[in-house]
Amino acid sequence: MPATQDTSAERMTAYLDAELPADEAAEFEEQLALDPEARSEVEMLRKMMSLVSSLPEVEAPPDFAEKVSRRVRRRQAFTEANWGLVSLPFQVLSIVVILVVAALYMMAQLEQRPTGKMEREAIPGTHEAGKMPSSGPAPVEP
Amino acid sequence: MPEAEIDEAPAASSEPQSPEAEARRQADIRDRRLVRRLRAGDQRAFDELVRLYQHRIFGLTLRMLGNRQEAEDVAQEVFITLHRAIGQYRGEGRFYTWLYRIATNTCKNRIKYLRGRNFHRSVPVEETPEAHDPGHDGPSVPLQARIAGPEAMTEGARLQAAIQQELAQLDPEHRLLIILRDIQGLSYQEILNITGLQEGTLKSRLHRARVALKERLAPYLS
Repeated sequence: MPATQDTSAERMTAYLDAELPADEAAEFEEQLALDPEARSEVEMLRKMMSLVSSLPEVEAPPDFAEKVSRRVRRRQAFTEANWGLVSLPFQVLSIVVILVVAALYMMAQLEQRPTGKMEREAIPGTHEAGKMPSSGPAPVEP
Repeated sequence: MPEAEIDEAPAASSEPQSPEAEARRQADIRDRRLVRRLRAGDQRAFDELVRLYQHRIFGLTLRMLGNRQEAEDVAQEVFITLHRAIGQYRGEGRFYTWLYRIATNTCKNRIKYLRGRNFHRSVPVEETPEAHDPGHDGPSVPLQARIAGPEAMTEGARLQAAIQQELAQLDPEHRLLIILRDIQGLSYQEILNITGLQEGTLKSRLHRARVALKERLAPYLS
């Protein structure tokens, strides 16, 4: 909707809702007097608003408040009583995860231990790092 | 926000106020007290809030959804959300505009959900047995009073059904504005607080909504 139409729509709405300041309302009425189409539009809108506003007020069912109260109590009871049950799987899962992590860590430690031992045992037999230890008796020089 | 701030009553001006303004101020004070009690865990305060606002919220959901069962379920959900989220109410603005915001969002979500499920089973509001039972739907029907003669009841009910049916055909955003302004009579400021719209947008959108409904109701306006 173009800006001018928007402004006109806003003014018409405010006029119908008696929200226009007195001077603007008077100005709008002057415009209406010169524009039969706009006047007819305002009249029809006024009729429609009158029709809609005369719809009966609706009342909630008589047991509405009781039903709401019951649903709230049920929800509270569920939250309190079943919190343990709801959280139990998560607690079990947490313990399982911790145990699995611990087991993997221990296995990794056990796998590393023999290699480390061999390396430590190999060190005293060698004089220079990177040199393979000789096997058998040393050659006799002539 | 601390509770103390929520508990603050709107300052009464020294100028004389209209009876309506004074009634609104008293209602705000009452609501703030009830909210403070509810936040402290007082279930009776919640029951009191439900009792105070059940008709307005149910009226809104019914006009938005056009189906009693869905409307009742959504209205219940609104109050359950209120109970759960009362800690999030920061005391800015009036309590009931906050409640209306919950209600409008819940209605919009339900409309989307029902559209997704191709919900076409709606029972027109005025065709339900409750709608004809004054004990359920309150006092006499003003529309019926507009039609003279022995057929007033039938004609009035038919007209109401037609209005509700045409209202249901509007875009939900337009429908909401018509309900808030023209049926429930909320002020612009209240609607701005509920919808979060700018004033210009509200006016132009309300105009479009009215024009759309006027065209749909044209046969009944002559």
